[in-house]
Order: sequence, then structure tokens, then C-alpha cells
Amino acid sequence: MSGGNMFDCNQSRRQLLQSTAVGFGGVALASMMQELAAADQSVVNPFHFAPRAKRVIFMFMKGGPSQVDTFDYKPRLQQDDGKPFPFDKPRVQFAPTGNLLGSPWRFRQFGESGIHVSELFPNVAQHVDDICFLNSVHGTNAAHGGAALKLHTGSDAFVRPSMGAWVSYGLGTENRNLPSFVTICPTLAHGGVNNWGSAFLPAENQGIPLGVASQPATAAAVKYIANKKWSSSAQRMQLDLLKQMNEQHLSQSPQESALNARIQSYELAFRMQSEMPHLQDISQESEDTQKLYGLDQPITENFARQCLMARRFCEAGVRFVQVTHSDSKVQWDQHGDLRAGHSKNALEVDKPIAGLLTDLKRRGLLSDTLVMWGGEFGRTPTAQGTTDGRDHNPEGFTMWMAGGGVKGGLRYGATDEYGYYAVEKPMHIHDVHATLLHLLGMDHKRLTYRYTGRDFRLTDVAGNVHEGVLA
Amino acid sequence: MPLATYAVRSGLILAASVCLSVTANSQETPVSSAFADSVAPLLQKHCIACHGPDMQEGGLRLDTLAGLTKGGKSGPLLLPGKPDQSLLITAVRREDELLQMPPDEKLPDEDVKQLVEWIQAGAIHPEGAIVVNEDALPFDVTEARKFWAFQPVQVPVVPEVADAELVYSPIDAFVVSRLAENGLRPNAVADKATLIRRATFDLTGLPPAPQEIQDFLADESPEAFAKVLDRLLATPQYGERWGRHWLDVVRYADSNGLDENIAHGNAWRYRNYVISSLNADKPYDLFLREQLAGDLLIDEKTEETTRHDRLIATGFLSMGPKVLAEGDETKLQMDILDEQIDTIGRSMLGLTLGCARCHDHKFDPIAQADYYAIAGIFQSTKTMESLKRIAKWNENSIATAADKANLEAHQAKIESRKKEIADYLEKAKSAVAVSAGTGTAQQVAEDQLPEAVKKELATLRDGLKQLETTIPELPTAMGVVEGTVTSSKILLRGNHLSPGREIDRGVPVVLDVAEFAAPAEHSGRREFAEWLTSPANPLTARVIVNRVWRWHFGRGLVATADNFGKLGDRPGNQALLDWLASDFVKSGWSLKTLHRNIMMSRTWQLSHEHNEAAAEKDPDNILQWRWSTQRLGAESVRDSVLAVSGLLDRSMGQSMLHVKNREFLFDHTSKDGTSYDSKRRSVYLPVIRNNLYDAMSLFDCTDGTVPNGDRASSTVASQALFLMNSDLVIQAAEHLAGELLREYPDDARERGRILFLRTLGRPAEPGEIDQLLASAEKLTSQLQNDGIDPITHPLATWTAVAQAMLMSNEFLYVR
Repeated sequence: MSGGNMFDCNQSRRQLLQSTAVGFGGVALASMMQELAAADQSVVNPFHFAPRAKRVIFMFMKGGPSQVDTFDYKPRLQQDDGKPFPFDKPRVQFAPTGNLLGSPWRFRQFGESGIHVSELFPNVAQHVDDICFLNSVHGTNAAHGGAALKLHTGSDAFVRPSMGAWVSYGLGTENRNLPSFVTICPTLAHGGVNNWGSAFLPAENQGIPLGVASQPATAAAVKYIANKKWSSSAQRMQLDLLKQMNEQHLSQSPQESALNARIQSYELAFRMQSEMPHLQDISQESEDTQKLYGLDQPITENFARQCLMARRFCEAGVRFVQVTHSDSKVQWDQHGDLRAGHSKNALEVDKPIAGLLTDLKRRGLLSDTLVMWGGEFGRTPTAQGTTDGRDHNPEGFTMWMAGGGVKGGLRYGATDEYGYYAVEKPMHIHDVHATLLHLLGMDHKRLTYRYTGRDFRLTDVAGNVHEGVLA
Repeated sequence: MPLATYAVRSGLILAASVCLSVTANSQETPVSSAFADSVAPLLQKHCIACHGPDMQEGGLRLDTLAGLTKGGKSGPLLLPGKPDQSLLITAVRREDELLQMPPDEKLPDEDVKQLVEWIQAGAIHPEGAIVVNEDALPFDVTEARKFWAFQPVQVPVVPEVADAELVYSPIDAFVVSRLAENGLRPNAVADKATLIRRATFDLTGLPPAPQEIQDFLADESPEAFAKVLDRLLATPQYGERWGRHWLDVVRYADSNGLDENIAHGNAWRYRNYVISSLNADKPYDLFLREQLAGDLLIDEKTEETTRHDRLIATGFLSMGPKVLAEGDETKLQMDILDEQIDTIGRSMLGLTLGCARCHDHKFDPIAQADYYAIAGIFQSTKTMESLKRIAKWNENSIATAADKANLEAHQAKIESRKKEIADYLEKAKSAVAVSAGTGTAQQVAEDQLPEAVKKELATLRDGLKQLETTIPELPTAMGVVEGTVTSSKILLRGNHLSPGREIDRGVPVVLDVAEFAAPAEHSGRREFAEWLTSPANPLTARVIVNRVWRWHFGRGLVATADNFGKLGDRPGNQALLDWLASDFVKSGWSLKTLHRNIMMSRTWQLSHEHNEAAAEKDPDNILQWRWSTQRLGAESVRDSVLAVSGLLDRSMGQSMLHVKNREFLFDHTSKDGTSYDSKRRSVYLPVIRNNLYDAMSLFDCTDGTVPNGDRASSTVASQALFLMNSDLVIQAAEHLAGELLREYPDDARERGRILFLRTLGRPAEPGEIDQLLASAEKLTSQLQNDGIDPITHPLATWTAVAQAMLMSNEFLYVR
């Protein structure tokens, strides 16, 4: 049996959330704690540990970037280019595995840590001393859908709450006018909304999508955030009439908290309408900042916009911001034409990511913002059949974390000498989740939610915190 | 070891002392040197730090005989003589993703070999033999059957209530006596206008029409309300509303969701089957049997419509989300089975059977062997046509004689057209050959034919092509058929790579009241369905009457409507639940009778009014001293907006998908072309997993992935945004305003009066109309400022006012 729940008064917390939650996402933690403390004197602290990070930016590289061409340097692979793969192949393969395929990119050492980064990421490379490379991540599913669901929800077989929803549920929002979890330009494929859904968690914890991957980030907006018919003043009058009617209705049964909550929800929505577009309006940023992210270059403009919005949302109190790098195809999925595909993909994100890290750091936000980067799996160090591309590889790949209490300048764990299997300090996706929650001050075994009689958690019945990545 | 009662899966209860651990008897037991020489040292080196005297991670201790015998939280550690079925070996071989021991590094192959050999040789321990009784159940069946939900349903005595006016039906007697025990008294009955609005939403999901309200208010006969119920139960809208409830618990969807989101192009047939079944008041036990084994309830003599209905009904088993691109076919099959078992458990039995896939159920008396006994039945059933990536579910033909004749006629037309073309060509070529006087018709090429002939030929061929591209498809329905009869093997930790012993097909021992026996020649699915719907099954009737209670009142007598197990809630009023269940079975499992009984009770008719003293004692109204206000469900929000504005299309829908069966709803491009423009009732709109229509998802509609008999009722700002800004609501408001302006062009007061009646189902208080008109006036001048044309601004003003009504709490909640 999993341990107690987060506050050891789950039921009342759930009821509270169901009956009184009006926030776009969740109830602010502080007020939640006051309300709970009033209900239950034993509640003193929402955190299981001292939190090292207060918020998360997850940069999702859809399709599966290749570890051996980016952040997992394998000299042996270069030497044995073209030779047959010397180990056992995985039991379940997506496509038949061919011979070893050396990386077409050169690696160089960077920073004081001297970590190798390929020439695909020259700008991110400047930040290696702030980054903890998780070189031994492994998952279970070799198909995009299953792997993306596993990464986002911890389950590739059942619909479960997404990690952003868990974080929102655990921490609430810092800003009552904003959702606690937003996802910018998410992909509808391969799990779609389940990748940012709340499943059985209260609805206000679901990610609020801004746009979709197939549209440019300039079109990313919360649905129904704007009214096409009424001016703001006319709508205000309409809402005033509504408020009058609702208050008369409420006066007949003033104890009905849901009715009261709904009255407030209209007011909140009205405020949101002005706040969200303001937050998304990156024209307010200095030209310097815009350039830093690469907004001035067509190739980087789209992802730069997402990254800059992410920073603005974080500043405003959103707990979990996901940005997705995916075009109308599967972006990083280079089964063939690795050189052209990965070159283009890396070029699109390298500068914006580096810009985001620099910007967070100079604003003092990096220390309590956890930045996480990765795809649903990596790629094989072998060619797919006889092509010049690489196949899916969930057996060992690289994600990275920066800021938010992780140890910078570190390569944590390792794959074998060719970069196929995680062999040293293997870090399962569940472990990544456990560690992420730990950094936010939550014990993944105690952050639970009672649903149809069982206490569920992000890490199901698995997951270990990897202390080695903690600063 | 204390004396205990254990049972084995045959159902036989043994009252005997079955020792799971064996007392040390060093004289009789051969002492294995293997253990001392190799096993003990390697355990010491790699395992004891975490599974020894100081720490027992996972409840496992390896330094004692008792510990080795008992195993840990994941179950028994080893089966002597069967290393491949021993969890210890699974762990050290790292066959299970989640159970890899030792955690940091793999044991040397030599050590693994030593362990395997030791277990193979009988796992002899110096202190005695390790004896594990595989067939022993992890619980005492007699004890387990004492749990309330596993007790047979008894017909309880209806309590006496002194105050006869509080009792309209036996239901009230149970409720009122419980209230009295707690010093409470129920509210007065709600007024008639409230009752008809409540009843109409409850049974049809729609608001009452003004005329229906007036008729009811005018009817002063004692049967007036009963007449309303009979009228509502006879409308097709009843099945749409209550069918939708059932679709929630069977995770209905028009797309697969998960990884490969392809269209369930024929799922709508199942949806319509559910709606029609409820409208026909099909006995609930038959309704379930059809869904579990409809394909086995038909033969050549079965009438065609019934035959097709029963094939369509088994779509229940096929509807679950599947990882269709799973590369591991065995895993895919086991995952599909698991989803079916879990869904049957939750939806029909209120049991989380799926929990026993990997281990004995941690809370309920469901052994892992019980799970695999059921799994065998469904493993012997064919759900999938193919497991190869991308896997395909099975569909059954439901073609009628007319469909087949139609197809044959079409194919005959194609054949005759082909012949016609051939003949024409032959004739034309012969003519050319004859006129040229050279060679035979075969030697004439087509381009030698005269232009007029070529043209005629082209026309004929176009006609053929037209026919060939419009061959009618014979209708099919998602559903199962019998497969190859087989028994499932227990999978250690649920892992298909670690199969254990074979389990006979069967049902959970704790519920095996009728001595279930699976036939050798069939899957046993039909017998399973009969067992499940037997009046002796303690769960089935209780679970459904509780669901119906939940859907009427917003809260079940057992609050966890999908879980009647140990972790579920206990019934607040078990006598009432049992009375309802027994009466339900007695009525021939008639849902309409159950609705009538519940709604004719005084308890259902109570006013929502607040009572300070009662609220003090029972703030959540668990004992039901008043009516609990309910927010409209997602479908009702949309349907009501359309209904009151005059836009609702009440016709029954078929498929509204924009793609064909098995085609991708949206692929890597992230574009979903599904349209929700239809004005039909929401139950007919496509349910797209991974991208549910936001008018539904925002208001807590289930996403069609897992059974859900207890929807949340959230209040979030995104709902407000939808009501404020969506085209749907604004267009509906505009349509409503347009009708009002057309009907009452010169009388604003009358317009306001009708607006209240149509949207809120009650006459307006005079002050309310004043308030409305004052706001309208202010809005008019604001809209003029905003540059709206004065000719059209009455429409704009009244649209804004009507929209406010559609956003109001009184519209969105039922008292």
C-alpha cells in the first residue's frame, strides 16, 4: 500500500477542491493551507522536504533526439562506425537494427566541467556547468505514443494524470488569476491531451493548452480567451446583470459554496482575459532580450517565442510550463536523413534554449526554476537497417536538467560504450519523475490521490530519487 | 503457525492446518550443502543489507527460513523446483522492468545459475524444507464472504415510521427512520414548478417546455406528477439521457485514443443500441448478458434485428483504449484482456479486479489466481482480428438480407456493364474489320475505332468506374467472437515474460456462489454472463441500483459507485440499498420501474431549502434531509442552451466522424478535423479520446478512457470563459433573442417574461423584469457607443441579455 497522502487529509482536500476551487488552475497554496489548517490542525506544511525548485519548465523534443549526436559522447562509436553491433539487440525492436553508425558531428569539451557537447548545440554548450546531463535515462516503450505517455504520465497502458497536473495538484498556483500548468503548442498526436490531462485529479489541475504544434506560436492562445462580439465594457455590463441575478439566486441558499464559487469564476475569467494576452505579449521585452532568444531570426523565431512566453508565465506564478518542439511531423524522428533533420532541429532550438537559461540566470530565476529537456526516447547508435537514420531507442538516452537544485556540470549515469543501453546508475522514467518531485519538495510516494479506493501516484509503484543529481 | 481456514481455487474450503512454513526438523530434512556453500554467501553479499535483520525492503527478509518461505509484498519469493516461476529468479534475471535486483548492478551469471540450480533442486534450506502451497488462497473465504458487499441480498423489513405523511413509498420509510435516528426530519416537498424542472432534467437531460410546465401546474389531480413521469419515461430523450450515463461506465468512445488514435467508425452502433435498449426498458440482466456474450445468445432462429443487436452489444468488450502500435504482441494481448477485466469489474460488479493482475488484491479477497481464471475466459475470446502493428480489432457483419441483396444487385450491375462494354467493343471492332476487309476483330486497335464509338465507349467506361467506386459497404460492428479455448497462466508480477502455472477458467472464489463451471468446448463467456447476472450474485443488482440512485441524487448510497470493495465506502443505508436491489430484481430488472419508484418517493421530491439545525448535524446532506442542488452535466449544459434557444435538433444520430472506420482522427500533424457543428443532442457528438470536444471536457464529461460512474462537478474559470465567449453560446443567445424580437416586436416586458419562462422554467418576479429592462437599456447605449448599427442593436442588446440568462446559476443548476 502506498503511504499516506500528501496532507493526510486527502478526502477533505479533495472535497475542498471540488466544492470551492475557482482558480483557472487550482487554489493558491497559501490559501489552501489556511483553509486546510482550519479544517485540520495537523496540517502545517505542504512539503515533505525543503523545496529546491518552485516551478518547472519542460522543453519537450518530440520524436526522440539522438543522444549519441548531442550530449552523450561515445568515442568508441566513432571508431567502430559501420561495424556490426556487438551486443544483444533488444527483445522488442521497432525496426530491424543495422550496423553501428558514427555520429556525423564533432564533439568538443566545454566549461570548467569539460563536458563534451556536439556541434549541434554550440549555444547550450556554453551552459554545461549549469546542466546535469542524465545520460542513463531509460523507458519501456519503443513507439512514440506509448513512450510519450510514459514520459508525461508515468503510464503507457492507462490514462493517468500528467506530471504537470501532479505538480499543480501538489503545489497549486502562485497566482490566482492564472492556471498553474500551461502547455505551449503541444502536439495532439501520441497521447494528445492525456499528456497534459488531469485524469482523475480535480479538473483545475489539467494543463491549459495554448495553441497546437501544427500552428505557429504566434497563434498560441487559450481557447475562448477573447470575445469576438462584445466590447470589454459591454461584457462588463452583461456580467453585472449576471452577477445581480446570481446573487439573488444565491440568497435563497447562501450555504451553497459551488454557487458562490461560480459567481467568482466569472470575475476571475474576466480578469484573465486581460492578463493572459498581456503575459503573452513579448513585444514588451527589450530588443536585447528578444535577440538573446533568437526572435530576430526566422529559423529560431518560433521556438524562441515559446521559450520567452515560458519565462513570462513562470515569472507570473505558473508552476509548470511545457514548451513543445514539434512541427506538423514528428520533428526529431530521423529514421533517415539524420544529418539534415537533426541539424535543422537543433538549429531551431539551440539558441532559444541557451537564451532562456541565460535570461533565467540573470533574473535570479534559475536557482528556483527547474529546466528539463528531453524527448520521449533517444535513438539507436546503429543505423536503422541500411539507411542513414537511427531508430527509436528507449533503452538508454539522455535528458537534462538545469537550475532548481540540480548539480551543474555533471554527467549522471552512463550508457554502454556505444550509447545503446543505460548501464551505469540507470534512471528509469519513474526515477526521473521521483527526482523531479523531490526537487519540488515532494515525496513521490506520499504525493497521492485517492481514486476508486486506491491511492494513486505519478510513479505508480516504482521510482527512486537519484540523490546524485541534487546540488 | 496457527490453525487457519484456507481454500483453494476449486472452491473447496479446507478447514485444516496448512503450514506455509515448516518447523525446523534437521534430522528428517536433508541438509543442502548447496545452500550453505553458494546460496547463503551470495545472498549475504548482495541482498542481506536491504533484506536482512536490519532492513526488510519490500517486506522481504532473506536471512531466515521463514522469510524465504513467506516472500515479500510482491508475493511468494520462490516455488521449489520451479525456478522459472520464482520471483527471485525473475528479479535477478532482470526480466521485469520494475523488479530488478540487486538494484545497482546485475548479479554475475554464475550466481544466477547457482540460485536457479538451488531452486530447481527443491530449494533445500538447512533448517528445513520450504513448502509453498500454490493453491492456497491468500484469504479465508468464509471470513471474506462476511464482508457486507459479498453477503447475499436480503429483503429487509420496511421500518415503521410514526409520521405517515412523510412516507410516500417504502424508500421514504428507510430514509426517514435513519433521519429520525439522527434527530433529523426531512424538508417539505418542493413546489410544482421546481418538481417538473427537476424531473425533466433528471429523466431527459433537457429543460421542460413552457407548455409542459403550464399543463402540470394546471393539473390538480393526485396523479399529476405520476403522469409527468410516465410521459417523460416514454420520450426518446429518456434513453439519450440515461444511455449517456451507461456510456460513462463502459468508457464509450468513437476513437481509440492512446498512441494510435484511429476511428471507432462503428462504435455509434453500440451507442444507439444502448439508447434503444433503455428506451425499450430492456431487463438489465439481459442488457448485461448481451454486452458480455451477445454473440453466444443467438442462433439461426434468432430474429435479424435481435441478432444484430446482440452482436453490436459485445462492442462493450472491444471499446477500450489499446496501444495499437505495441510491438510486443503478447503484452498487447494481455493489456487488452486486462482492460476488459478491469472494465467488467468496475462497471458491472463495482470491483477493482484489475488490481489482481500483478499480485493478489491488496485489500479485497481477489487472488491473482482469480484474476487469471477470468482472464482465461477472455483469452478464449477473440477481440482482435490482428495483433500486428497497427493492431486491428474484430468487427462482426451485421448485414441484413436487404444489404446483401443490394450488394449483389450492385455487383450484378457491374458485371452486366462490363459485358455490355465488351460486347460493344467486339461489335465495333468487327465492324471496322469488316469494313476494312482485313484481318479479324482482335487485330483492330482501339484508336482505329471511329470517334463516335470512342466517345460512347468512354461514357460506358465512366459509368462502370462510377459503379465500381460506389460498391456499398456491408455494415459491420465492433465486437467479439469465440476464440480458441485456452487457460491463462499466472503472470508473475503481471509480467508476460514470467508466466507461472496454468489456472482453470472460472470466477472469483469469493463470489462463486453458484459453482461456476467453464465448458470445455467454449470460452465460458456465456456462463460468465449468467453467473454475473444471477440474482444470487450479491453485487450486480446492488451496484446498478446504487448507480441509478447516484445519477438521480448526485451521490450514491455507496458513495464510491465504482468500488464496492474494502476501500470503497460502506453504504450509508444498507437496508435501503438492499430493498432497492431486491425490488429491482423482483420487477424483472426494470430500470423504468426503478426510476418511477425513486421519483415517486417523497425523498426525491424534497425541497432544496437550507435548514440550519439539520445542516449542523449533516452538512453534506448524506442522510438526505433535503434535495442537493446539482450542476447540469456537460451534455445538459449544451443541450439546454440549444433547446431553450430553439436550435436543438432532436433526431437520432449515426456516425458524425469525418473519417472512415480505422482511419486516423489526426496524425502527426496534430490537426483534428472533427466537427461539432451539429445541433443534435450531445450524446450523438463524436467522443474523441485524446481530444474531447471542449464543450464536454470543460464541464467534466468523462473522456471515455476508464469507467466513471461518479463524474466530478467542478467549477473552473475556463467554464466561465466558454459561456462568455464561445460561438455556441453567443449564437444560441442570438437565435433566442431573434425569436423573442420576432414574437414580441413591440413589448419588451412580454419579451422579458417569456425569456424567463423559456430559460429558467418559471415566471419572473415583477422586480426581475424591471432589472432586466434597466440592464438592457444600459447595454443599448453601450453598444451604440461601440458602433453597433442602431437598426440591429435591439438584437444585439437582447442577445447580451439572453446570454446572461444562459450563463446564470439558475440555468446551470437544478434545485
